[in-house]
Amino acid sequence: MRSRDGDYSFTQSISSIISLLLCSSVIFADEYIISYRYSVKNATLYSETLYVSKAMKKCMGRPYDTLLLESQKSEILKEILLANQDKFIEFLYKIGLSVRYYEETLNGKNDSSTILTLPSKCFKVDFNDSFVRIAPLK
Amino acid sequence: MKYSLVLIALLSVTSFAADKKEDATQVTIVCSTSNCVKQTEITNPVAKSKVKKKLSPKKEDVLDTRHNLLINVIGQGVAPANTSSPAQAYALAKRAAVADAYRLIAEKVKGVRIDGQDLIKNMMVKRSTIRTSVQAMVRNANIIETTFKEGLCEVEMEITLSRNQFPQ
Repeated sequence: MRSRDGDYSFTQSISSIISLLLCSSVIFADEYIISYRYSVKNATLYSETLYVSKAMKKCMGRPYDTLLLESQKSEILKEILLANQDKFIEFLYKIGLSVRYYEETLNGKNDSSTILTLPSKCFKVDFNDSFVRIAPLK
Repeated sequence: MKYSLVLIALLSVTSFAADKKEDATQVTIVCSTSNCVKQTEITNPVAKSKVKKKLSPKKEDVLDTRHNLLINVIGQGVAPANTSSPAQAYALAKRAAVADAYRLIAEKVKGVRIDGQDLIKNMMVKRSTIRTSVQAMVRNANIIETTFKEGLCEVEMEITLSRNQFPQ
């Protein structure tokens, strides 16, 4: 197909570059297993843990939601997530968290604990120059 | 003449008061629950229709195919005592408040399991235990508003439920 100005080779080279970029983003996308958990005891935050690990085998599924985070030229995902903690945790609220709540009242004395957990989930992660794209797989 | 007018006026006032009193005694509402709506005992047939209209049962929130259900909760959390800065205190209190809000959503949507146990010895309560627990998975909950005042953080969250989210 010829372009309107007749510069066929230029159009072809542009399209090949775009297709190459798309292929590279698919090839170089990493898969990570992320899990997150925090517990609250008597209305006060007690512990918070974030586990990040590279997937040891290929994950199945398609990415269904994306989050863009500034990477500040870091290649370590955990560092990026901790630097953008608030954004990432708001994203987790959207994905869904498991809630477990226990309360015990013994002779009128009340104790409660709430645990929010993101069960281990596979995420597709694309590293770019200044940002990183994270998408959970379904 | 003057005295007769005064007498008529007095008679009319007393008859009006008696009418009022009769109405008041005939309508008796017996409440066994806190919201005084469920049980009614009405003897006056005229008042009965009036009261029936007022005490019609409240329509419960039911998830149907046409309408979505919006659940709104406010979670509360406090910062730990040993925080290094007010910003850290805010962040930690917000986490706790979000967890509380999630718990409230789960309580409303899925329900609460309650176990109670009382140990009575020699006609005296030795130990009284109440355990409540909630377990659920909450998706697509949104934070509407966050307020932080005097060490207490309040997070308002809402979730929209639609019929097609649940397996039929």
